[in-house]
Amino acid sequence: MRKVFLFSVLTVLAVAIFAAPVTIQFWHAMGGTDRIQLLQNLANEFMQQNPDIKVDVQYTGSYTDTMTKMIAAVRAGNPPDLVMIYDIGTQMMIDSGVIIPIQNMIDKDPSFDINTLVPASRGYYTVGGKLYSMPFNSSNPVIFYNKTLFEKAGLDPNNPPNTFEEFIEYAKKLTVKDANGNTIQYGFTFGSGEPLAWFFEQFMAVQNALLLNNNNGRDGRATKAVFANEAGLRIFNFFNEMIQNGSAINAGPGWDNARQIFISQRAAMLITSTSDVNMMVKAAQSGNFSLGVMFLPHPSGVPYGGVIVGGASLWMVNTNNAQREEATWKFLKFLESTDAQIQWSTGTGYFPVNKNAIIKLLYEGYYAKNPPYLVTVLQLLMSNVTPATRGGATGAFPQIRTAVDTAFGKMFTKAMTPQQALQWAQEQANQAIANYNSMY
Amino acid sequence: MKKNKMIRTILIEALLIFVTIIILLPLFLAVTMSLKKPSEVFVYPPTIFPNSFYIQNYINAFNSINLGRLMLNSLIMSVVIMIGKTIFGILSGYAFSNFRFKGSSLLFALLFVTLFMPAELIMIVPLFQIMQSLHWVNTYWALTVPFLASATTTFLMRQHFMTIPKELEDAAKIDGAGPMRFLLEILIPLSKSTIGGVAVINFVYAWNLYLWPLVVTNSNEMATAQIGLKMLTNVESTSNWGVIMAGTLMVLAPTLILFFAVQKLFVRGIVTTGLKE
Amino acid sequence: MAKKIFPYLLLVPTFIIIAIFIYYPAFQTFKLSFYRMSPFGNRLFFVGFQNFWSLFTSGQYIQSALTTLIFVTVTVIGGLIISLLLALLLNERVPGIGIFRTLIFAPYAISPAVAGTLWAFLLSPVAGYVSYLFLILFKAQPQWLTTYPLALIAIMIATIWKNLGFNVIFFLAGLQSIPQSYYEAATIDGANSVHRLLRITIPLLSPITFYLIVMNVTFTAFSAFATIDVMTQGGPANTTSTLIYKLYQDGFVNFNTGFASAESVVLILIMAIFTYLYFKFGQKAVFYQ
Repeated sequence: MRKVFLFSVLTVLAVAIFAAPVTIQFWHAMGGTDRIQLLQNLANEFMQQNPDIKVDVQYTGSYTDTMTKMIAAVRAGNPPDLVMIYDIGTQMMIDSGVIIPIQNMIDKDPSFDINTLVPASRGYYTVGGKLYSMPFNSSNPVIFYNKTLFEKAGLDPNNPPNTFEEFIEYAKKLTVKDANGNTIQYGFTFGSGEPLAWFFEQFMAVQNALLLNNNNGRDGRATKAVFANEAGLRIFNFFNEMIQNGSAINAGPGWDNARQIFISQRAAMLITSTSDVNMMVKAAQSGNFSLGVMFLPHPSGVPYGGVIVGGASLWMVNTNNAQREEATWKFLKFLESTDAQIQWSTGTGYFPVNKNAIIKLLYEGYYAKNPPYLVTVLQLLMSNVTPATRGGATGAFPQIRTAVDTAFGKMFTKAMTPQQALQWAQEQANQAIANYNSMY
Repeated sequence: MKKNKMIRTILIEALLIFVTIIILLPLFLAVTMSLKKPSEVFVYPPTIFPNSFYIQNYINAFNSINLGRLMLNSLIMSVVIMIGKTIFGILSGYAFSNFRFKGSSLLFALLFVTLFMPAELIMIVPLFQIMQSLHWVNTYWALTVPFLASATTTFLMRQHFMTIPKELEDAAKIDGAGPMRFLLEILIPLSKSTIGGVAVINFVYAWNLYLWPLVVTNSNEMATAQIGLKMLTNVESTSNWGVIMAGTLMVLAPTLILFFAVQKLFVRGIVTTGLKE
Repeated sequence: MAKKIFPYLLLVPTFIIIAIFIYYPAFQTFKLSFYRMSPFGNRLFFVGFQNFWSLFTSGQYIQSALTTLIFVTVTVIGGLIISLLLALLLNERVPGIGIFRTLIFAPYAISPAVAGTLWAFLLSPVAGYVSYLFLILFKAQPQWLTTYPLALIAIMIATIWKNLGFNVIFFLAGLQSIPQSYYEAATIDGANSVHRLLRITIPLLSPITFYLIVMNVTFTAFSAFATIDVMTQGGPANTTSTLIYKLYQDGFVNFNTGFASAESVVLILIMAIFTYLYFKFGQKAVFYQ
């Protein structure tokens, strides 16, 4: 009798639990009203297909703000189910002790084919052979150039520079001075601060050179920075030469000033993120210039590696609630689906992380109509997936970026030679890595 | 004599206009940007006046982030903090300025040292843990209660009350007024301009809080206007600066209206008449 | 008896709030300064004074301390002088004074991040308004955000500009409490306006000036990180990285909580010493009626 009673109570409870809609929290850092709306629309579409799941989509500030909010929530014991974390937070998240590696979900669920993920994105978020987070908004750096200014300078707009050496030549030819010797148009511009450090990492990958030991921290925890070598020096010299000969302008920290300089046609070439492609195409149309997009240049004679995926990925949090985790996984699969990826990519400028989405867009003629998008996707797909192009993984990454940027600053202001600056950055990086690793 | 006064007024007006223009230049940039179409924002040479008074930026900014609701939240938060900080600051400032009591220096020092705690940076995580245990996350409680008192206001009110002549207090005592009546009926009316000033400052402080509201709220129904402005900023892509500046200026407006009302309290001579009678 | 308790009662609300929401978190910070903690707090190691030791042996930290000293000194003194002059001007009774006061207050009311963005756009090389103006007027192209010492000067200007409103309000409020009769008496004695400023206005404003000095030092030392983050990110080559900006970076960019805690303890100690000296020696210069 008692057993029957207990059984019926359990059954009722189980039915009640499974019938009740489950709510999951999704935190993201996609500022910009279009992007916030796009994510909300995707969630709405998902909720329509799954009436038993409610997704709370919450914008949580910039990448670092989101990380701060996540840390506070984890330490107070109330984290969200799904959170968007920037690329360099990968190792910190792995070490956080609160996440579920996506690999675990994939291994349990044969309906998800991991091979549909774009190799570069999959490679970045795979550490120690395990895919930890779901790639979502992936980007690379790319060089936008002003074809109209190329023509004015007598350069072939359809033959942009390939090598460092050509790039420096072009930058010089694209520099215009007024009668007083003041520069009114530069060949090249870039944002310093975090962007510049990111570009450095990319140019290392372009030369297929590692940033960190243990295969960039992919085969075991990275214990040393290894970028103070020939490859690193070529990059420092590349930037330094253009700054010192006055053909490049350091726009100051962040992305915005460099964009301002490029869009107002005070510089002919700009290095920035592929995810900017949407806005750049619009800016070129309204600014009456013809926009070109080129791959990152590489030093001549050095075998080409590729670019590293940047942007952010989606992390599943261990909530000890099977039902919520199941719902979160379902939502993730939806976000990775071909249709969702097409909506996301065409609406933002990030490239699709699902191969089928790229194929479908290609067949539909999207890339034929929008060549700049094709360049961004091609650069990614033509990259070799090697330890170098998968990027570094270490919890000390933010400090390393600061150190690299500071080293560039010391070189630009002639406080150090390129060699000294590079060496200094590596020492700083090693110290930060040692500090971080001492905890694990 | 009258002519001299006229010339003086004109000179002062001219000087004021000159100084205001210089100081407002960066804000003027915000105003023109807010009225430009995206295609006009980044041109060379930089243009001062927009070609088209593109009001659409304001409409976009207001509608795309539900700014009305966000500003209402900010308003609730800021008014509560302003009132709390100002009242508690007056009370504690009064205690330190007009009374001698055991431990007053120690207590003042304990309060004073909190001025130097970079609270907005270092306390986020422990403070959030308190909110979680109080079940205040995502409520107005979390947005307001931690900021209801501060050393800044206490210190200011102490400094101000100390400038008020002691004879007034003695006179009030002779008239049989208790310390609370003295505060309410004499001290506060005499301090209108300082209290008005500190109220505005406290309002601005709360109005511009960003990281704390972001960490402690979890829904768009509880978010504040500063979070809304951040929503307008594209990440990893060129932003629509016209819309951002339009949003910024709309969010700025309540503070300026409040200040305009308060600055009327700054009239020379109030204290004098209070003293002479 | 009731009389004795009265001042304590006045302090109760303030101290309850501060005890729970400032002392308790501050205590946590103090404790963590002796630990090394992983970003998510799941690893915690007691390291004694090692965080402090690393700070003081780091050349960058010492450099930041010097930068802070220069930055705070120039911004506070410069800011207060400009604000006092502005307040005197805004204290005149002329038509439209309310509008002028409101407009001059406006920069204080915008958020530090937006203020930084506006300045960054103005000072942006080649394309910015200021750069354009310099090119036209002086045929020069100063690079405000990326060269030393221009970057530091740019940060100072932006900070002074941002805090003008705060200082002006309290100078204005302070000017209200100076009895008009003092000026009348002085005028009869034949004092000119400069004399009146130096002999009456400035001494009588000293309590509020004392307050403003303390507040400006705390502002510039503790709150100026958002503007720096937008305008220079501490660069070029660390030359605009103040102590609070470093603290912000270690705490909220690098997520190195133990280290950031040690930095805030050091900051609090520096400020406590500064305050002690100021109260001991500076107080004498303050004139209370």
